[in-house]
Amino acid sequence: MKPAVRASRPALALALAWLLLLLGLALLAPLLPLRDPGEVDLDRMLLAPGVDGALLGTDLKGRDLLARLLFGARISLLTGALGSLLALLVGLPWGALAGLSGGRLDRWMMRAADSLESVPLVVVVLFLLTLAGEYRPELEALGVGRLGIFFLALGLLFWLPTARVARAEALRLRGSGFVQAARALGAPPSRILCRHVLPNLLPAAVVLGTLTVPRVILMEAFLSFLGLGVEPPAVSWGTLAAEGLAALNPLVDCWWLLAAPGAALAATLWSLSICGEALQARLGTGAP
Amino acid sequence: MRRRLLTRLLAWGATVLLVHAAAFLLMRATRGGPFDEERALDPAVRASLEEAWGLQGSWLEQYGRSLAGLLRLDFGPSLRYRGLAVRDLLAQALPLSLALGGLALLVALLLGLPAGLAAAARRGRLPDRLLRLLSSLTLALPGFVLAGLGILLFSFHLGWLPPATAGGLRHLILPALSLGLPVAAQVARLSRQAAAEVLDSESVQAARARGVSGFLLLRRHVLPRASLPVVAFLGPAAAGLLTGSLVIEQVFALPGLGAFFVQGALNRDYPLVLGATVVYTALLGALSLAADLLLARLDPRVRSLG
Repeated sequence: MKPAVRASRPALALALAWLLLLLGLALLAPLLPLRDPGEVDLDRMLLAPGVDGALLGTDLKGRDLLARLLFGARISLLTGALGSLLALLVGLPWGALAGLSGGRLDRWMMRAADSLESVPLVVVVLFLLTLAGEYRPELEALGVGRLGIFFLALGLLFWLPTARVARAEALRLRGSGFVQAARALGAPPSRILCRHVLPNLLPAAVVLGTLTVPRVILMEAFLSFLGLGVEPPAVSWGTLAAEGLAALNPLVDCWWLLAAPGAALAATLWSLSICGEALQARLGTGAP
Repeated sequence: MRRRLLTRLLAWGATVLLVHAAAFLLMRATRGGPFDEERALDPAVRASLEEAWGLQGSWLEQYGRSLAGLLRLDFGPSLRYRGLAVRDLLAQALPLSLALGGLALLVALLLGLPAGLAAAARRGRLPDRLLRLLSSLTLALPGFVLAGLGILLFSFHLGWLPPATAGGLRHLILPALSLGLPVAAQVARLSRQAAAEVLDSESVQAARARGVSGFLLLRRHVLPRASLPVVAFLGPAAAGLLTGSLVIEQVFALPGLGAFFVQGALNRDYPLVLGATVVYTALLGALSLAADLLLARLDPRVRSLG
C-alpha cells in the first residue's frame, strides 16, 4: 500500500490557522463587540455585506449575519466534538472487544454491525427524532433536551466505522509481542483490554475522532435543514444555511445568506479533514 | 456462492422484518393515539376510525395485522393524506426517486471515474491537485448548500435550468448534479488511489515494456482493477444517495419518496413513515446485495471466498 497523498505543508498550516482562529472567535463570541445575534431590527433588513457596518450583511429580519455565524460556530463545533466523542465511546470498546476476543463473539459482534449497515440509519434516526418530539415534557423533566437526543442519534449514526477500525487495530495488537507476553504471564482478559489494548488504540482514536467531526457537523446541517436538528433561538451553521436557502428567490438577490454559512462550513470541514489526514499519516493508523 | 447468496437473501428479509417490527413498536409505544384531540370523539366514530387504521385489539393482534399487510405490501391508509393508501402514495413517489437516484449515480460514475484516472496518470501535477481540491470542497459542503448555489447560478443568474418542481428531464439535471457530485468526489478519490497502485504494479510495467500504451493500456490493464474499489463502494454510495435525496427532493420540491418520508415524519403520519422506512430498508438492502454480487463477478478474489 502506498500512503495516501499527504496534504502539502502550506495547506496544513492554513487549515490549522483557520481552525485556531475560528475556535478563538467562537469561544470569545460573547465578549466581542458584535450585535446580539437574535436582535431583530426591521430597519436593517437584507443589508448587503459591508453596508452600514454589517460586515457580512444582515438577514430577512435584520439580524447581523456575522454575529449569527460566530454564535452558530459555537453550536456547530460543540455538536461536532460531542457527536464524535460519543461515536468513539461506543465504537472503540465494541471493536476492541470483538477484535480481542476473536472467534464466535467476534463474528457475532461484527455481523451485528454489518447488518446495521444495511439499515438506512438516517431514516431510523429521523424516525426516532420525530417520536422524541412527542415525549418532550418528560425528557425535559429528565434534563434531556432536544440537543441531548440529537447527540444520541448522531452517536448512533457514526459508531460503525469507529468499531471497524478499532477491531482491526485490536486484531493487530492481539498478535503483538507485549499482549502475548501479558497473556503468558496470566493476565486476565479485562486487564489486557484495559492496560494493553485500549491505550494503544489512542492514536487510532485521535485520527478517527478528528475525521468524524466534519461528518457530524454535516449531519447536523442535514438534520437542521429538515427541521429536526438545532432549534431557534439557538443558531448553528446548518440552520443558517437552511435559512439562506429558504430565502433564495429570483427577485431579491441575497446570496450572502447562503454563501456565508456555506463558505464557513466548507473552510472548517476542509481544514478538519486535512488535519485528520495529516494526523493519520503521522501516526500511521488505519483509515475509517 | 449459491449458499452465500441464499444467506444474504435471508439476512435481507430478516432485516426488513426487524426494521418493520422496531418501527411498529416505536410507533405504538408513543403516548396517545392519532385521534386524540381537544374535542372528545363519539365512541362509535372512534371505534370505526380505529378499525380503519387497524388500531383495535391488543398490540400483538395489531402487529399481526401490520405484518400481514407488509407481506401484501399494504401499509394501510395514510393518516394525513386522507383517503389515500400509503401504498399508492409510495408507488407514485418511487419512480421519480429512482430516476433521480439513477441519474445521480450516473453523474457520480461518469464524472468520478475519468477524473480519478486522469489524476492518477498525472500524479502530483496540476490535474491531481485540482481534483483533490475540488473533491474535498464538494465533500465539505452539505448537499442543500451545493443545491442552493446551483440554483443561484444556473437558475437565477444564467436562467438555464428550472429552479424547482418535477416535470421532464430538464428538471432533474440540477437535482441529480447536486445529489451526485459528493458521490462523484468519493468515486474519484477511490479510483485515483486504486489506479495509482495499478499503474505502479509490475503487470502494468510489463505491459508498458511490451509497448502497450494509451487507451488500450487503460482499458485492458488499469480500468478492470481500478474500478473494483468503486464497485465495492456502490453499496455505501447507494446509502449516501438515499440520505441525500431526503434533502434534495425538499430543496427542488420533487414529490419523491424522500419528500413523502420527511413530510410524513413532520406530520406524524405514522403509516406513511412506516411504509417509507420499510421501502427504504428493502431498497438499500437490495442495492447493496446487487453491488456485492457485481463485485463477486468482477473480482476473482471475492468469488473464491464464497
